[in-house]
Amino acid sequence: MTSLPIIIDCDPGVDDAIALLLALASPKLDIRGVTVVCGNVPVSATSRNALQILELAGRSDIPVYAGCPRPLVVAPIYGQFHGVGGLGKTELPAPSHDVAPGHAVDFLIRQLEHALAADQQITICTLGPMTNIGVLLRMRPDLGPAIARIVSMGGAYREAGNRTMTSEFNMLADPHAASIVFSSDIPIVSISLDATHQVMATPERAQRFLPYKGRVGETVSAFLSHWDRNDPRRYGSRGGPMHDPLVTAFLIAPHLFETERARVFVEHSSPLCLGQTVADRYGKSGETPNVDIVTKVDAEGFFALLEEHLARYSPVEA
Amino acid sequence: MTAIIMDADPGVDDLAAILLALASPELSVLGVTTVAGNVPVEASAANACKALALAGRKDVPVFAGCSRPLVRAQIFGKHAYLGAFPDHVVPATDKRPEPAHAVSFIADAARQAVASGTPLTICATGPLTNLAMALTLDENVKAGIARIVIMGGAFTALGNRAPWAEMNMLADPHAAHAVLASGVPVSLFPLDVTLQALVEDSHLQRMREGAGRAGRALADLFQLSDRSDIDRYGRPGGPIHDIMPVAFLLAPELFEMRHAAIGVETGDHTMGHTYADFSGEAAAAGSAEIARRVDDQALLSLLLDRLETYASKNASTAEIRP
Repeated sequence: MTSLPIIIDCDPGVDDAIALLLALASPKLDIRGVTVVCGNVPVSATSRNALQILELAGRSDIPVYAGCPRPLVVAPIYGQFHGVGGLGKTELPAPSHDVAPGHAVDFLIRQLEHALAADQQITICTLGPMTNIGVLLRMRPDLGPAIARIVSMGGAYREAGNRTMTSEFNMLADPHAASIVFSSDIPIVSISLDATHQVMATPERAQRFLPYKGRVGETVSAFLSHWDRNDPRRYGSRGGPMHDPLVTAFLIAPHLFETERARVFVEHSSPLCLGQTVADRYGKSGETPNVDIVTKVDAEGFFALLEEHLARYSPVEA
Repeated sequence: MTAIIMDADPGVDDLAAILLALASPELSVLGVTTVAGNVPVEASAANACKALALAGRKDVPVFAGCSRPLVRAQIFGKHAYLGAFPDHVVPATDKRPEPAHAVSFIADAARQAVASGTPLTICATGPLTNLAMALTLDENVKAGIARIVIMGGAFTALGNRAPWAEMNMLADPHAAHAVLASGVPVSLFPLDVTLQALVEDSHLQRMREGAGRAGRALADLFQLSDRSDIDRYGRPGGPIHDIMPVAFLLAPELFEMRHAAIGVETGDHTMGHTYADFSGEAAAAGSAEIARRVDDQALLSLLLDRLETYASKNASTAEIRP
């Protein structure tokens, strides 16, 4: 089996960290690099957190590239559920590696140039604001054909927003970059709050990771207990929604997901609805559908997948 | 000597700005970056190459930049039909843009400026797309830029591409917003001041007769794109917008500048409209200044005097045709 070449663009972030650990445990994915962006926490912290997660997984061979420290047009905002440093209350050892030299956007350009020359394509996962990808597409629109598709966590269609009434954090944090990406011709899989709110890491589910005594299992258990929103009125249960891990899960086990095709627009000028994702499912806009919106997720299947993958990390005695 | 990057969309008056800068020993032009604006980016890059060859300065690198604005639908200039400068007016050249992207060149130059402790000046005479992208890439880019001098905006004057907006602001208002909100010191040269200095036939004649091949090309291009509008300007002649920020770097005493808090509208109805608050604490605290008045006769004399140095460079332009 040949593995799928991917680049993970992220802002770790507690749920980004779980998404990375899941991806790193899968032989189906060939992670060419991790690019980080300003989002849940500033880019200096997302860089450090990405390095720490790769070291935790024993995969320091994968390079981390620091990306944009701010959104294109709007002022930066940061996440609310990731703690001061971005990984909740978890303290991982200081990274022994540094970020790779050069900018995340330059790395993306080089990888896509090579792919284009070799008549290959790379899948890009976006787990944070889309600033790096927006800059990439405006600098080098010719590289679009080298992107197989963009699998993105972000947006809210039938669900309400999580940072404002209408808007999910990643879209709100850089609505202009998101608009650039969603108005491109690149195929997109959109994993929005519609999907992630179906996959709640309830305390019972979080417990399932405790038996894995190694550092990865303990770390994920700690992440999930920190992640508990404790808001049954909103989510129907305790626990936190599994936003970013669904992106890497989608690539490993697409059979757990149902999708619906639509054209997607991102609001970037309304003060009330800034960052809102608007789906045209019924051809009202006259534009060609360009997005597969995930409408349904097999939540039990996802947690079984996560458990099975995290069990692959050999226990490391502390 | 001030190290500058010229970010431009040549464009006839961009050509004048480039020729003025290259004729001025006070300025060291590190490179010319181009953007879609007056014309598509391929044409603006080709025109920048022709401009440098015309000036006998093929050593100055050209970098092609963004081919479209950040988010709005693309528009071009009123004289976009000119496209690339015709060869019979500005001779063809073998000079080509460098492989690197304009945004990468600006960002790298700014990072090096931080490292060397000598921040750059950017002279922007087109839509601000490249600069907005470079400022998004890396905090060091902001730290490496001492000042951005910009042709753009309209405050008391009406717009030129729409009644409410000047072309460079209208073409990419989101990029303009990003640059103006970045905190980098900005000197803005809006239509209010660029319409105070009109190039008349007598100026074109002096250019044509006294400034070598470069002067002839510039005068010919001016006549190809008739810029006069006697109903609007009340007198004969056409504006030469883009020379203003370059001239400011050479002779700031020709301009009356005022501090202001400035912004640009990115919404639908008055997209690209620039507004300024000249009063109060916001203006005093802001990092922007706006040109209000220019000594037009002294400005045009400065331009024509500097262009005359090209008369003696005719020999070096003989190598333009391969």
